[in-house]
Amino acid sequence: MEMVSTTKLRRFQDRAVASRPYANEIAQLLGHMAGVMGDRLGERPLFRPGRGKQTAVLVVTSERGLCGAYNSNMFRVVETWLASNPGKKPVFFVYGKKGFQYLSKRGFEIERFFVDPPLEKLDYRGAKFVASALREAFLSGRFDEVLVFYTAFESVARFVPTKVTLLPVGADASKPGGKQSSGDVILEPDVETLLEKLVPRYLETRVYNALLESLTSEYASRRMSMKNATDAATDMQGVLKKQYNRKRQETITKELLDIVGGAEAVR
Amino acid sequence: MAGELTLRVITPDRIVVDEPVESVQIPALDGSMGILPRHAPMVAALQVGVLRYRGKSGEKVLFVSEGFAEVRDNLLRVVCEAGETAGEIDEKRAREAEQRARERLSRKGEAATAAETFDQLRAEAALRRALMRLKVLEYGSRDRVRS
Repeated sequence: MEMVSTTKLRRFQDRAVASRPYANEIAQLLGHMAGVMGDRLGERPLFRPGRGKQTAVLVVTSERGLCGAYNSNMFRVVETWLASNPGKKPVFFVYGKKGFQYLSKRGFEIERFFVDPPLEKLDYRGAKFVASALREAFLSGRFDEVLVFYTAFESVARFVPTKVTLLPVGADASKPGGKQSSGDVILEPDVETLLEKLVPRYLETRVYNALLESLTSEYASRRMSMKNATDAATDMQGVLKKQYNRKRQETITKELLDIVGGAEAVR
Repeated sequence: MAGELTLRVITPDRIVVDEPVESVQIPALDGSMGILPRHAPMVAALQVGVLRYRGKSGEKVLFVSEGFAEVRDNLLRVVCEAGETAGEIDEKRAREAEQRARERLSRKGEAATAAETFDQLRAEAALRRALMRLKVLEYGSRDRVRS
């Protein structure tokens, strides 16, 4: 089991790394366009807080158990956020069965439960689908913002449940930035059109990244708990084997004593 | 020194192309566009189409889906969701997709409802993707014969 998790972990890690250049490019381009737009940016619907009172929350959890504290860590972060924002009415979008079970058992409003594609078969199109669902929800005017709770993958031994604001764009620190527009650049066809096309891509890359990182974290976590289980089982096996051998030796000694005692008596 | 132009095609899954080229033709939103070394800085939106470039080993074609192209400092970065070389395209699948899209388009004469319009747009987009893929295949095979 540990080996299985390790291979899968490596696969998802590779994909997360492979998707990075694309995400960086898109973010950079968006920062660029934002620089060109300047103050007019704030007027665009996706860049300003929504009119609604509810908050849309995407929670990414695992499909299956046996992955240590991966899911419960996530729920703890969600609960903490809920406790510190009692006024907010969260509406959940869930990826992963565990999250759905947890949230529905506690009677939260679940707007959407993503099952297709299953997380493990996640590809860019899946992320695209989720991103557009979130974008449409935001544009419908029911929500003031869209949050994403996912597990950030920092290393094979460190994964942190994280909250980021997906919409409105640029609301949190991880705002598309980098270099601002560097003087004259030909824009083809124009800023509005480019921005119109860029923003959805940008959201997709962020969702894709969040999903991939969660998935990687899940497998890292699973690998760790499987390793712990293997280690614990090996230990236990050692202890039991010793116990068994001792018992066996005891019986043999006893029998020998019986035989020797019997022979002694006959003489 | 004219300087060399580098073409880098970036998709979410991988970097498809990263090599020095002499010229590139990109399917910009307003029509095909040629890029040569020392092009002025530019950002362009791309449509689904065929990207052709002339590199060290002759002319090559690539299928690109909707995306963006950015030129700066002799580096042309094409950022798109899909970038496929002729060898990677599944001809059968593309043909089937073409057929499906055509059927869907011919069935609906006039789009009455919003949903139908949306459907039609989607079919049109699918048709375009299929046709462009086939075009790449066609160019690709022709190039192979020539070289």
